[in-house]
Amino acid sequence: MISSHNRSIVIIISSYDILLAGLTEILKGSLATEVISLHRGDEMIDYPKMDGNILVISTSDEYEKSGSFIRQILFSADHLAFLTLHLDTKSNYSNLTINLSDTAALLCYKVNEILNSFVAISSKETGTELTRREIEVLQLLTKGYANKEIADQLFVSTHTVISHRKNISEKTGIKSASGLTMYAILKKIIDVGDINQDDLI
Amino acid sequence: MFNENSKLASVILKDHSLLPVINRLGIKLGFGDETIKNICVEKGIDLNFFVETINVFHYEAYFPEKRLLDFPISMVIDYLIKTHQYYKNYLIPENDRLMELFLSASPGESTDNELVRKFYTKFKEEFVIHINFEEREMFPYILELNAVIEDFSLRNQFIRKYPSFSITSFEKEHSNMDDKMDDLKNIIIKYLPPNYDQNRGNAFLYNLFMFEKDLKNHSRIEDHIMIPKVKQLEKLLVNHD
Repeated sequence: MISSHNRSIVIIISSYDILLAGLTEILKGSLATEVISLHRGDEMIDYPKMDGNILVISTSDEYEKSGSFIRQILFSADHLAFLTLHLDTKSNYSNLTINLSDTAALLCYKVNEILNSFVAISSKETGTELTRREIEVLQLLTKGYANKEIADQLFVSTHTVISHRKNISEKTGIKSASGLTMYAILKKIIDVGDINQDDLI
Repeated sequence: MFNENSKLASVILKDHSLLPVINRLGIKLGFGDETIKNICVEKGIDLNFFVETINVFHYEAYFPEKRLLDFPISMVIDYLIKTHQYYKNYLIPENDRLMELFLSASPGESTDNELVRKFYTKFKEEFVIHINFEEREMFPYILELNAVIEDFSLRNQFIRKYPSFSITSFEKEHSNMDDKMDDLKNIIIKYLPPNYDQNRGNAFLYNLFMFEKDLKNHSRIEDHIMIPKVKQLEKLLVNHD
């Protein structure tokens, strides 16, 4: 599984091939890790269950037609935003629209601003340092205790332990119990001698 | 999106990670400037299956479930078996080799190296058991089920062999495998002590990235195409009774 924090996907929807090709080329210079171009919103049916940070660029007509369908199919996105594509050359400058007359640099700037704001939200949500409580949970976890046993030892509910485990995984990027054990040893949170290596790794 | 008129050489130049994928589909290098269509016709390869498979592999988010479910299950299984062979005969031994090279050149604390080795070895063992199980138990079941759907006279024989005939009894979670692969990558990238051999570390990681991409795709095909397709076939068998 690709860590969703690193994935920024831009989806461009337009019936004009020239626009799709042009924007795709220009956005190679943006922070987007992937650019998907579609002729119609309902083609999103072929891109189910996408995760990561997703920005959809479409005309307001297309948004009205398939906006809610797109939201539905992108339910697992970590963050989702829409930018309106203005095909009218006279339209005024705005940060929330992509205009036909925008320069390549401005287009990338607008897209990057949005993608950056997603990352800022994510890191505010988690941070990376483990709290003291999380370290305690991790220590017990690496000794092979189950959630219920950890809860009893720390006088908290199992639910709280599960929530700590989720935060530990989000902060470290490591999900499996054996991976967390390895992390704890490398970070000197526990000593190799404290655990049964054959069972836990 | 690649299509039947794309030149295969251009496709590979654009995404070389498709090389093992086209091998699995029955194509070797040396195809000149031929289009995908001409190559498939010449080699007797299903054109649509070829095009959808490389698109699904190249575009991570692309997954046209409905169209993929239309392909014959035997074609899907054949592809999955070839993928397993690629893992067992090449990718895993290569990973082993690169990891040993990496660890032997990294003086770091020997306990750290031992940890990485242990974690990887355990992951690998579980993985091999998993794919062997699929090959020995699950795939034969699916192919026999498919044979019954094509020829109902085989039905009784099949029911005797698989009284409960349900794919759910074979289903194993893939997410655990993907998680561990992800963990190994994260640990090496984020938390490894600094005095290791950079080039060998990178080589090992490149291979892991490649393995991960391939495995992710493989799991996606098994979970979202193979399993739903088998459930359809099982329903056909029940309804026929």
